[in-house]
Formats: sequence, structure tokens, C-alpha cells
Amino acid sequence: MSTAISLRGLTKVFATGVTAVSSLDLSVDDGEFVVLVGPSGCGKTTALRMVAGLETITSGSVAFGDRVVNGVSPRHRDVAMVFQNYALYPHLTVYQNIGFALANKGVPKSERHSRILATAATTGLSELLARKPRQLSGGQRQRVAMARALVRSPAVFLMDEPLSNLDAKLRVAMRSEVLSVHRASGAATMYVTHDQTEAMTMGDRVAVLRDGVLQQYGTPRSLYSTPANLFVATFIGSPEMNLYEAGVCADGSLTVGSQRLALPAGSVPAGYQGRKIIVGIRPEDLGDPVSAGPDVAAALCVDVRLVEVLGSEQHVYFSVDATPAGGDLAAAALAAAAPDGVARVGVGAGIRPGNQVRFGIDADRLHFFDPDTGLAVRPG
Amino acid sequence: MSVSVLPPASAPDTVEPVRESRRERRRRERLEEQDSNIPVELYGLRRGTVPFLTSLAFLFAIFTLVPIAWIIINSTKNQANIFETFGFWFARPFSLFHNFSLLFQNVDGYGTYIQWFGNTALYAVLGGGGAAALAAFAGYGFARFSFRGSRVLFYMIIAALLVPITALTVPLYLTYAKAHLINSLWGMVLPSMISPVGIYLMRVYVDISVPRDLIDAARIDGAGELRIFFRVALPLMVPGVITVLLLSIVAVWNNYFLPLLIFNINSRYPLTVGLGLWSLRAQNSGNAQLFPMLVTGGLVTILPLIALFLLLQRYWRGGILLGSIAN
Repeated sequence: MSTAISLRGLTKVFATGVTAVSSLDLSVDDGEFVVLVGPSGCGKTTALRMVAGLETITSGSVAFGDRVVNGVSPRHRDVAMVFQNYALYPHLTVYQNIGFALANKGVPKSERHSRILATAATTGLSELLARKPRQLSGGQRQRVAMARALVRSPAVFLMDEPLSNLDAKLRVAMRSEVLSVHRASGAATMYVTHDQTEAMTMGDRVAVLRDGVLQQYGTPRSLYSTPANLFVATFIGSPEMNLYEAGVCADGSLTVGSQRLALPAGSVPAGYQGRKIIVGIRPEDLGDPVSAGPDVAAALCVDVRLVEVLGSEQHVYFSVDATPAGGDLAAAALAAAAPDGVARVGVGAGIRPGNQVRFGIDADRLHFFDPDTGLAVRPG
Repeated sequence: MSVSVLPPASAPDTVEPVRESRRERRRRERLEEQDSNIPVELYGLRRGTVPFLTSLAFLFAIFTLVPIAWIIINSTKNQANIFETFGFWFARPFSLFHNFSLLFQNVDGYGTYIQWFGNTALYAVLGGGGAAALAAFAGYGFARFSFRGSRVLFYMIIAALLVPITALTVPLYLTYAKAHLINSLWGMVLPSMISPVGIYLMRVYVDISVPRDLIDAARIDGAGELRIFFRVALPLMVPGVITVLLLSIVAVWNNYFLPLLIFNINSRYPLTVGLGLWSLRAQNSGNAQLFPMLVTGGLVTILPLIALFLLLQRYWRGGILLGSIAN
């Protein structure tokens, strides 16, 4: 599989001196769906706009295939883009909106007509071709925006938070529509979102950005199971990963607050004996409390504060005698009142607020981070 | 309060709405409609604000309409009645058509009204249309492109608003003399095409009515900049362009100073200068026949502008952009 889009050291410094994107290296293969995700202001949209040619590049390069397109104007890049606010031409009908790009390219009228109709059919707009954008619902406008990009059968497909203006239910439905459109077109796609759920469910690969710097680039599964640093660990996954400061004893066991977790030898990264380390536990990795009797060596004893029943599972918010770590300062300030952690358990477990519960801990599923650098460290 | 499980006494009450008379229903519907309207008090205005502002607007309307009423009434009078009868009521004989016919004749030997009318219309269409077109281009450029010196240029345009035209008389005249623009159509039209107010208005209008994303989308769609302007931006700018067009046409139509300065041939005069000349002659030469012509000519001068405003009113409707951009 060959590379469709490659970014090399892509950097954007605005006139105000703000560095929006800092030497970003990224490649997207043919037909791949890559999601750029990060909190707002992390530079993901700026990066996308540089790929589209709507933003000048301070340094680095954007290449489509082997062709570096740094100096190429957007109209000659042959990219299609879906904007966050759709940016439909308000005075043109749906038909004209979809056909605008083809008319610009000088596609003959008969061919234009058949392509518009075909695209409208795949996006479910056949009935609405005569309408103006203001006569459409949010979801329909979104489809027109998709159709407008799709009709060109572009080599590169860019989407800037296309679903963020839809209500929650429609957003979930449109996710699969966007993916089926992507599969039908087969174009290399870059998709920007701030929603980690969207990133995880849609991306073949996901790039996590923070303050213009790429944190990690990989499959959703790898981001989830082996986050590269504290930021990725907390950003990916909902509810967030629980992070605590822990002490590593000489025998390799951990102390979390006043509790001692006796872990099998070699399950804590080497070199941290007698030092602090940050330990991360995914909410679902806090084992079923029923099975964790007093004989289980590695168990976390917590006080249940709140139980959220979600139907198929329940979220158990608890406080624990330990120092929460990670997250940013704002989150830490909030944490004074908030619970120290959350566990995701089956609805069968009879847990009530006020209970004291022991969660079993599987040493293989713990994540470790260096407290100074925030980078992930692994045992062995 | 204890509630009985079986309230036989209240049973007739529950049937009551069925027996509601038509009058009662109308009254109820009126009250319901009142409830569904947000009362003015809820806008946070003090009691009496609305009647006060309405009275002010009413006074202003009277102030504006009285001269128009006067000119309409007096255009129907002959020379003697203009001076001898009550100014705000009609008098016999009805001379409107006679007065009107005089406008087509060179009565005084100093020029024909209808010719001046044609001149004014020509200057207004060329100057006003040119001003609207230039303002549309320039406003779009200033609003949507950042180029070297764009800020300085824009401030210079704003500064041009501050220079009184009288201060420019001498340099303008000398420049015109050298450029052979005295008594020239272009001498009148070219300066009229420059409208700093129009450029400023269009810049503001483009800022709110043509979203950047729309232009970006058109660029991605492969449209060139000129095509983007004409196919995407301009249709959204129509209400703004119409406004600037009207303002510029009115400005040229009513312009007195510039034509007075550059024209010394009567047949080139616009209405303003021509009527001014008549007014002067009526007072000084004693050609009293000119007074009814002045009044009727004044009326005919303002009619096209009123018609234009009414005609183009529908382009002022907003909300054209609705549905393009989410939220």
C-alpha cells in the first residue's frame, strides 16, 4: 500500500507568534481513514487546513503521493473538504451545490448531471435536489456537504469536525454513514475531531495532538492498550484511566496510598525500586469485586461514593486513600471535590454508595508512567 | 385540603367548557393570544417608553412630509396662486399639467428642464452604478484579503471622508482644467464613482454576510478568485450593494457643488444646477413664470428617487445566508 498523504516536519507559526503546529510527521496510506484528535486549540484544524492549502506552511512539507504541494493553491490540489459548519452555498440549490466543483472543472453538462444524480442517490439526497440549504435540516445539510466533496471522486478527502454540529443521536448515526461513504470512495481521508469516541470508532489510525505536537500515532487499539504518555492515557478512553502516584518497594510490590499491592515479580518496570511511579488502571480493569476476596493479594480497597447504572454496566465512583496523578491543573483543582477514581463493573455486582469494596488487580493490565517525563514505561 | 373521591357537586363544572358560548370562546382565544405574545414590558423598557418613541417618530414623519405635501399642493397652482393662496391647500385653476408641459420648453432661454433631467439621470446611473461596483470590489477585497498595506489603504479611505469638499475646490478645478475635464461627462462621473462611505459599508457588510469558510469551500471546489467573487460572494452581497447603489445614486442626483464647479455650458447642467439657475433668474430677472416651473420641477426631481427606493425595497430583506452555515 502506498502513501497518499505525507506530512514532513509540518510547522505553522502564526503572525502573532503562536505555534499552532510543531514539526508534525504523519503519513496516510491509500484508502486509509486517519483521525486527528485532540482538545480544542491543539492545532489539528490548522494542520488540516495546511493540507488543504488554505493555510500557508511555515516550514516542512505536505506531499500527495510523491508530489510536494506546498506552493500549490487549493484549487489545484484536488482535495475535497467537508467543513465544520458545512459552508454550503446558500443561494444555490442542493443540485447546484453538489455540481459547483464539477462546473469549475469544466466537466460537460451531461456527465455532470449523471454524476450529481449518482452522488445524490448514494447520500440519500435525491428528493431534495431542488431545495436551498435553508430548507434543509442539520443532518441533510451535513449530507449535502458530504455529497459536494464526494462527487469529485477526490484522491484526498479532508473533514473538519463534520459531525460536531449535529445532535448526539444523529451524530452516532452519521458516523457509520461517513465511514460507508469513505469505503465507497476509497480516498485517503483525514478527519479532525475533538471527540475521542469518534476517533476510536472511526479511525483506521488515530493521531493524538496536544499543543501542536503529535503525542502518538497508531491504531485505536494500540492507543488504548499502550498509550505513549499520560496525556494519551487520559485523553483516550471513557471514563478516563485512573492514575495514582505509587511507591515501588524493593521487592517489586507497589504502595498506593497506605495500601500495598503485592504484584508478581517483574510486573513493575525495572529501575524504579525505591522511587515513585505513576500507575494507571483502566476502569474496566478493576476486577469484579465479588471475586476479590481477602485472599487476593493485589486488590485495591476503596470507598464507594456514587454508582451510575447504565443498563448493561455500572460506573462505580469511589474515593481511595491515594494521590491522584496526571491530568492537568484544572482537573486537579476539581478533583478536590470529585471522586478519586471510577470502576466499570457488571450490573450484577451489588455495590451501593457507602460500601467498602475490594477491586482485584491484574498486574498485566496496569500502565506505568514516569512521574517526571509523563512517558509510559513498561516492565521487562 | 381534603378532596372527595366522588365529587357530585363539581360534575356540572366539568361539562362547562362544552357549553362555552361563541362570545366566551372568542374572548378566551383573544386572551390566549395575548398570553402567547411577549409583552413589551418584558423587553425591559420603562413604562411609557414605547408611546414616547412612537410620538417622536410621528413628529419626525410630519417634519419630513410637510415640505413634500407643500410641493405637491403648490405644483398644481399657477404663478399668482402660489403667492396669494394658503400654501397648504389647493386653489383653482388646476395648473399641474400646464406647469408640467412648461418643463419641456426652453421658456427663459437659459435651458430646458427635461434636458437637465436627462443629464442628471445619466450622471446618476453612471456615477452611482460605478460607485456601487467599485465599492463591492473594494469592500470585498478589504474584508476578505490581507495584503501588504491593506490597513493603511483602508485608513486612507476613511480619512478621505473627513476632508470637506470645499477645501478641494481650487485643486480640483485646476486639475480639471489641465486634464480637460471641464464640461466633460467624465469630469462629473469619475469623482462620483469614488465612494469612501460605500467602500466602508461594503467592507462591513461582507464581513457579516460572506463567511470565510464559504470562500475557502469555493477555493477547494476549484473556483478561481474572480469566479468566487461573482458566483459565491456577490449573490450574498446583493442587499449591501443595493444599499450602496441607492446611497450613491442619491448622492449624485443631489450633487450641486461638483457640477456647479465643472460645467459652464447650460446644456450639460444637471437638475440641481439648472433649478438653481432658474431660481436665481426668477428672483432677479423678474421672469415670474419661472416660479411654478421651479415648484413642479422640484417635484419631478424627487419622484424618481422615491420610486427607486420603493422599487428596490425588497432587496433589503435579510436572511439570505440562512442555512449556509450551521448555527
